[in-house]
Amino acid sequence: MKISHMLAASAALAIATAAAPALAQSGPSDAQIMADEASTGDVLTYGMGHRGQRFSPLDKVNAANVKGLVPAFAASLGGEKQRGQESQPIVYDGVIYVTGSYSRVFAFDAKTGAELWQYDARLPDGIMPCCDVVNRGAAIHGDKIIFGTLDAHLVALNRKTGKVIWNKTLADYAAGYSFTAAPMIVNGKVIYGNSGGEFGIVGKVEARDVETGELVWSRPTIEGHMGKLKGADNGITGKLNASWQGDQWTNGGGATWLGGTYDPDTNLIFMGTGNPSPWNSHLRPGDNLYTSSTLAIDPDTGVIKWHYQTTPHDGWDFDGVNEFIAFDASIGGKPMKLGAKADRNGFFFVLDRTNGKFVSATPFVSKVTWATGYDKKGRPLYVPENRPGAPNTDGSKGSTVFAAPSFLGGKNWMPMSYSQQTQMFYVPSNEWGMDIWNEPIAYKKGAAYLGAGFTIKPLYPDHIGVLRAIDPTTGKIAWEYKNKAPLWGGVLSTGGNLVFTGTPEGFLKAFDAKTGAELWKFNTGSGVVGTPVTWEQDGEQYVAVMSGWGGAVPLWGGEVAKSVQNINQGGALWVFKLPK
Amino acid sequence: MTVDACSRRALLAGLAAVLLPVPAAARPLDTLAAAGTLSIAVYRDFAPWSWRDAGGTLKGIDVDLGTALAAALRLKAQFTDFLADESVDDDLRNMVWRGPLIGGSACDLMMHVPTDRRFALTVDRCVIGAAYAREGFAIACGPGADCEVPPPQWAGKRLAAELDSIPDIWLSGSFAGVLRGQVSHHLSGAAALAALIAGKADVAMASKAQIDHALANNAAPHIKRRTGPIPALPSPGWDVGLAVKDDSRDLADALEAVMERFAGDGTLDRIFAPYGVTRTAPLGNG
Repeated sequence: MKISHMLAASAALAIATAAAPALAQSGPSDAQIMADEASTGDVLTYGMGHRGQRFSPLDKVNAANVKGLVPAFAASLGGEKQRGQESQPIVYDGVIYVTGSYSRVFAFDAKTGAELWQYDARLPDGIMPCCDVVNRGAAIHGDKIIFGTLDAHLVALNRKTGKVIWNKTLADYAAGYSFTAAPMIVNGKVIYGNSGGEFGIVGKVEARDVETGELVWSRPTIEGHMGKLKGADNGITGKLNASWQGDQWTNGGGATWLGGTYDPDTNLIFMGTGNPSPWNSHLRPGDNLYTSSTLAIDPDTGVIKWHYQTTPHDGWDFDGVNEFIAFDASIGGKPMKLGAKADRNGFFFVLDRTNGKFVSATPFVSKVTWATGYDKKGRPLYVPENRPGAPNTDGSKGSTVFAAPSFLGGKNWMPMSYSQQTQMFYVPSNEWGMDIWNEPIAYKKGAAYLGAGFTIKPLYPDHIGVLRAIDPTTGKIAWEYKNKAPLWGGVLSTGGNLVFTGTPEGFLKAFDAKTGAELWKFNTGSGVVGTPVTWEQDGEQYVAVMSGWGGAVPLWGGEVAKSVQNINQGGALWVFKLPK
Repeated sequence: MTVDACSRRALLAGLAAVLLPVPAAARPLDTLAAAGTLSIAVYRDFAPWSWRDAGGTLKGIDVDLGTALAAALRLKAQFTDFLADESVDDDLRNMVWRGPLIGGSACDLMMHVPTDRRFALTVDRCVIGAAYAREGFAIACGPGADCEVPPPQWAGKRLAAELDSIPDIWLSGSFAGVLRGQVSHHLSGAAALAALIAGKADVAMASKAQIDHALANNAAPHIKRRTGPIPALPSPGWDVGLAVKDDSRDLADALEAVMERFAGDGTLDRIFAPYGVTRTAPLGNG
């Protein structure tokens, strides 16, 4: 009944649109997307606002009444193959759009959970995703839903029908390229990074025209490579061979696989970059710019305005891809435009977002072995003996280094949240380290090779995951919640003094934002590695999250596997509200 | 008895150690015979062992050998050329015992798997054996460099190697890294040698078979091989053989027997010869 009503409404709207060519774009405009952070009736961006704060001022669901939260409906993604559901829902005009594992997109009626349409990308054989077959979300603009596929395509679908409007090849999947991040749309341009292609990759950020999918600009992240704007050269990134030897810059790494955030105040995109290659740092002396960094990029031209490198000359596989979230606060009595990033390397960074100047770096996990801290200029104070060794050319097994965090990071891909109400960051972190040693001889592509072996080890017997509340002006941890399994899902905070996040054990949980007291939980039936959102609909506040265990954690064995061995796969959108 | 028995003993020890269920009397040879085909995984862009020519035709020693092995079992070979992952362990997972995450399925057989016993011990889901050749690294030089000098004397010369391979690590990392800035990185050993032959590099390091192939039929008379030893080279060479899934031991046994025959009757040498590669017999297999 409601489905047919919905379809009838869609048809009516389509006719109205056809009759009014001036309104050809029936759907969110650039201005609406830019205002998403403050608008409570929809979720138009990955990050609930381009800054990525993942904060909603809504307070109808709050610390006093959240214990009564109940499911409104659940909607299965179906399919024989399920695996990790890392998506963040988009909500607009009575429809919830989610991406699913294996490059699928679903549109569900936001009132009933009825499926309106489903799009399954036809994936070729021979794709090699690094970690799992996940997708982290879609972007919405006008009549389009835009998302990336595991075979490195960017696809624009009609948001009413799920039919393809345009489909562009971003990179060659046969060379190992993939795409899992949520794109973002800034003033008519779809902006995204690249992923996969471990072998000889160079990271880049690109912008395409949202209407046509045509490339507008491209910006490589490794110094020495030429940027492009509308087909013309647009200056090289950095300075050739300033921090690399020989031709190592031609395959230096620095993939931007997690996408970025955007700050309207400074008109800058903030994009994190991956670790350098080759893996062994002794083979590539220098800072290896701009790997393991945050880049501030002009969204109109693709020019880099500033950079800050969180792990210069990385030797531990500390990607710097994590989200950099703009916020304003006073430091030493001085109001400042700031940004924060919780890095794989275990430090929580605060920078001046107007110029990239270092403000502070404080550990947000209990153990960091590779550096003792940062100096006033923002350079790490390394612990030299904790750097994994040079490859042994004498065929011996190298000594073992125990480094924390592990290469899966103090925090991995899962986005943190900044509450405008408590002015604290809520960081999903993990307490694990790794043994690393050089293998005497390993094999790669049918030939002898000098590889490294590693084992990831939990630091504590009873928990790996820790959700932490951090005051960004002091770096002090206000509270923490410990979880047995590693945390792998994103965080949402609200004006109701609440923080929501999911656990691999299957729960969506709500915490008191000020005290960390656990106020509510619900078992969704499979691990939660997605990111919750909230919005208001017909006068009621809704909370939604994807459930479906997967991501990189189940791929690693050893002691970590013990904490997740009884978790089953799934694939469903869960939507909650208070009973009327 | 052959070297395969060694890796199978290792395999059984591994199985017992982790208490994996022993597969119930798998008889994949019967299944294969019914289907009439043998699916074979070979590396992509891996001349002279397996690569596609300009017309897209898959060729190479591993392709010809796979075809001959299938024919000896009265099967038709079906090849998948795959992109190498970060290690051979990953390749065996993707191509032999689990299959890729998306599309496709595991192959019956993978070519060019190192038969190193220590390595085979770590891969308990595969039977590895039937070594058919020995490989190792070597160096070739153009007219611009003396190939026999101690390597640090190549300062100022243009050096070429496959990205993130032992030749790359050795050239970039040995001798306190003095040669590092001169190394050009290529996506295959064949590409590094092509740069040498074209005069774009003075020294290239690649596998012996890759150099044999590049210099075959006197195609590049201006290129010389280093005849002296390579100092501090971390690999003494390695045997290459076959891998099948751990529940396909009857297939492994059949392939082992065929390979033994091919080594004895000169079939292997005849398969190698058209590629200009002088086959070195595997050390473990005599």
